[in-house]
Amino acid sequence: MKLYDFVLSANCYKVRLLLGFLGVSYDSEVIDFHPGKEHKGEAFRLINPLGHIPVLDDDGYVLRDAHAILVYLASRYDPGRSWYPVTDPERLGSVAQWMAFADATASTASATRLHVNLGYDFDVDERRAAAHELFRVADEHLWFGERTGNDWFVPGPLPTLADVAVFPDVVLAEEGGIDLMDYPSLVRWTGRVKQIPGFSVMPGVFPFERA
Amino acid sequence: MSDVDLRDEAPTGWFPVATEHDVIARVVFRGQLDGRELAVWRADDGFVNVWENRCLHRGVRLSIGCNDGNELVCRYHAWRYANRSAGCTYIPAHPADAPSRTITAQSYAAVERYGLIWTTTNGDEGSVPDIGTLSGPRLLLRSLPVNASPQTVREHLGSHRFLPAALLETGTAASADDAEVVADHGESWVTITADAAGESSTAVFFVQPVDPHRSMIRGVLADAPADEIPVLRHHAYELGRLVRKIEEAVEEPAERTPPRGFETPVILPANPWGHQRATLSMVVDRKAAVAADIALFELVPEDGSTPPTAQPGAHIDLHLRPGLVRQYSITNGPGETDRYRIAVKRDPHSRGGSAFLYEAIEEGDTIEVSPPHNGFPLRRNIPRTTLIAGGIGITPLIAMAQALDASGMTFDVHYFVAAPQQIAFRRRLATYTCEFHVGLTPAQTTDTLLDILGTPTPTRQVYACGPPPMLDALKAKARALNWPADAVHVEYFENTNEIATDSSFVIDLARSALTLEVPSGSTMLDVLRANDVPIVSSCELGACGSCAATVLGGDPLHQDVYLNDAERQGGQVVLTCVSRASGERLVLDL
Amino acid sequence: MPIATRETTDPVLDGWHPIAASGELSMGEQRRTRLLGEALDIEIDLLGNASVARATAPAEPLPTHDRYGYLWTCLGEPSIPLFEIPEVDEPGRRVLHAGTIGVHVSAPRAVENFLDMAHFPYVHTDILGVEPFTEVAEYDVHIDSINELWATDCVFWQPIAATTSTEGQMTDYEYRVPHPYCVILYKTSPIDDRKDVIALFCQPVDEERIEAHMFLCLLDASNSTAMIRDFQLTIFGQDKPILENQYPKRLPLDPRAETPIRADKVAISYRRWLSDQGVTYAVIPA
Ligand SMILES: [Fe+2]
Repeated sequence: MKLYDFVLSANCYKVRLLLGFLGVSYDSEVIDFHPGKEHKGEAFRLINPLGHIPVLDDDGYVLRDAHAILVYLASRYDPGRSWYPVTDPERLGSVAQWMAFADATASTASATRLHVNLGYDFDVDERRAAAHELFRVADEHLWFGERTGNDWFVPGPLPTLADVAVFPDVVLAEEGGIDLMDYPSLVRWTGRVKQIPGFSVMPGVFPFERA
Repeated sequence: MSDVDLRDEAPTGWFPVATEHDVIARVVFRGQLDGRELAVWRADDGFVNVWENRCLHRGVRLSIGCNDGNELVCRYHAWRYANRSAGCTYIPAHPADAPSRTITAQSYAAVERYGLIWTTTNGDEGSVPDIGTLSGPRLLLRSLPVNASPQTVREHLGSHRFLPAALLETGTAASADDAEVVADHGESWVTITADAAGESSTAVFFVQPVDPHRSMIRGVLADAPADEIPVLRHHAYELGRLVRKIEEAVEEPAERTPPRGFETPVILPANPWGHQRATLSMVVDRKAAVAADIALFELVPEDGSTPPTAQPGAHIDLHLRPGLVRQYSITNGPGETDRYRIAVKRDPHSRGGSAFLYEAIEEGDTIEVSPPHNGFPLRRNIPRTTLIAGGIGITPLIAMAQALDASGMTFDVHYFVAAPQQIAFRRRLATYTCEFHVGLTPAQTTDTLLDILGTPTPTRQVYACGPPPMLDALKAKARALNWPADAVHVEYFENTNEIATDSSFVIDLARSALTLEVPSGSTMLDVLRANDVPIVSSCELGACGSCAATVLGGDPLHQDVYLNDAERQGGQVVLTCVSRASGERLVLDL
Repeated sequence: MPIATRETTDPVLDGWHPIAASGELSMGEQRRTRLLGEALDIEIDLLGNASVARATAPAEPLPTHDRYGYLWTCLGEPSIPLFEIPEVDEPGRRVLHAGTIGVHVSAPRAVENFLDMAHFPYVHTDILGVEPFTEVAEYDVHIDSINELWATDCVFWQPIAATTSTEGQMTDYEYRVPHPYCVILYKTSPIDDRKDVIALFCQPVDEERIEAHMFLCLLDASNSTAMIRDFQLTIFGQDKPILENQYPKRLPLDPRAETPIRADKVAISYRRWLSDQGVTYAVIPA
């Protein structure tokens, strides 16, 4: 299995996280996203005409888009069906809902990070304000989860793709100048994700315990 | 935004900075009070620490660090700070050094009440508000941040409405706007009683001043409904409405002001001269027999404070009566910072100290104690550490074993005793790799030491404490096996003096007209302080330059890292904390 | 406050500063950047020549210099020559730009972190350091005849010192600070007797923000550019959250500020060296 990957990409990190949780080994094909802009080059267009990473190549089956890759990996490599609970319509609906939420954090929180780190041109104040609105909602959701014994975005004993999809944008938000101080439940949840067996860090993310 | 000094109207007193849900095990919570950032963490013993959110080394937020249950470990260089005392216990870049006692994080008093963590950053004056309404059953509501000043928030809270809890449990369709409310404004809180449909509920909303433009509303309901969730949801919803209303009404910037105090660098308080000589009155809180002829004493400060930080290997001086000072190793593990635990062996041949302590000192007695000094610091950068104890020499080693265990290091213990009933700390040792060597003759002891040592490797070091003949034998065997001298560390527990490690020389103080002798094992700074010569110091590691003195004569032997080459060669200045004389005499302009 | 409007003798004003990686500028491109609190416009003409001017009128052209793969400019009198890196002309070396990353920290804080070995086991775990090898051995610091600061005889045990590593090694380091905001590291190569050259050129956007330009001059002929950049971005990406959680963001020069230890010898000297030169920008003067 090959992942077209860039170490500082939050979207690639989603896929690396899930591969770690599932215990699936893979090869990283490093794309020079920055500063080389290799993902916009002619050679990479053969792999993904949209010019985005990550792209997964599983023995010839090529799939683009982080969330699509998460769904594929969980469906194929999670025999317990816990990460993507296809047998439980309500939980499955909730997973889809929070993965859509993660699309919103990608265009807000993640965009501010690209602006600060790599100089992408966004209206950063507007995107930060929008990210704060999203985080307020997520923090309240998780606070009530804590009161009812639910550790994860989708209630239930085990984490789902919702947690994987939302985690990178939250844990990297401060790089984009979004202070997480007002979202203690969200911060605590990141600590729980970090304790899932198979968790991996990326630059910008500290392990739960000292390494 | 204007540049008025908002500190004029800065609130004083105690405020909540976190909830009990925020300070769960092994987590460091980042809070803020009146612009000051705080690292709030609960140790495994239950104690809640509220500290300034910065490592003293390089100003990195401690809240990104690690709460290991006993100590807070900075993320940048893994400096370790102890529960309660906030003193630094270990600096991994210099594993062989004991951190200076001046390296102590700024901590604030903390009180838990109403499910909230309270603190004050303006001295310990005042107390947590005593709210009679909350003395009975209560329910902690969801705290909400508001981008508005505490003053504005308190004003708006007067119009806050909610429904009585009893109505929510029955699922009534009433609206909060129908409730009759009475608001009572306290200093920094608002008590609201809501009546509707013959039911009534009271809640207290504390306003935490985060910074001049931000607040946190922390509500507590004076009731304990059987079904909490609908009540919590109702309150979260209604308070959320209020927050949006407040934020729409204010024109204050939502942008965060930089944390107050963070613009000034951390400067350790200068250690005034004489400070180190002060003793602390400590009460024997507990005295218990732990083995034959061995008593454990637990000493707590008489004034209820937290005693100075002790590192593994450290000892304290007990001033038992005039002229009778004895040193005892501290046996505490990491995080056990509210008391000193020492173990005392009754020695029938002792000339006073231990026999006096063992027999005459009882629970409730007061002893003058000097702060801990560490002449036996423990490296934690060795893949395998071997601890060798002879008799009561187990005391510094049990502290080391606990520190190594907490750091996840590999170690083994060898404990030599004359008889099985003399084994102390048996239960704790049972959880470690520990071998007991009971009733051996001197020759058998020597043979066993030889076995334990084996062939030296660069990945192993030995710490030993026990009777002099045993330690002498250990050192001789280590030499014979070609162990490097710096891999075998020994402390002679029967020797009350520091082991001489360096030169002795004389300093002439030109302005004070004093001639002082600096003996081996002491620094110039020690001697100056002991003679009441005013001199300030800070790091006491030869790095900050605070304790510099001008040299008028003689050649300094520089051992600091502060002075540059020119200053070194010029020989006009010397750092009194670490440097010495290269000859027999230095003349200082003091 | 922009430095140029200050009444100052700060040498930073008359120094050269990097404002872009030359290879990322394309013909006909116009781009805005910031330096020392001021907005600058960079324009590349159709012959590939760069011109730089303040974004505020009058748009008098500023001096430029294309060196080491970066475009440099100066807001004052360019009286201080740009430092030399003679290794770039040596045969068998690969000169490359590893990336530019924005960081919310002052330039001197970033330089000081670059000079720091003690954090390797904790921040670059399993790459540049690993517990229990945490000790920082004594090393030498000196200022040379052209007032550049050096730390020499630095050694540290590293699990993966470079992209060319196959096993852990005791790595020798030399650090060189030729410019208040630029720092160069000379590091044992796992495959050559000469040393790899790794530099951090900070563009001081303002007193509390930088664009960090990462320059490499390596003896690695085998690894792809993507792999080499991946290694450097990984390391720098690990430092970034530490730097952004450091307060105050400007570097305090009072020797009593913060708590230096012996391992910080080069940082202590760096702070004094900045003080002695009269640097006031992006620092808290003593
Ligand atoms: Fe680093």
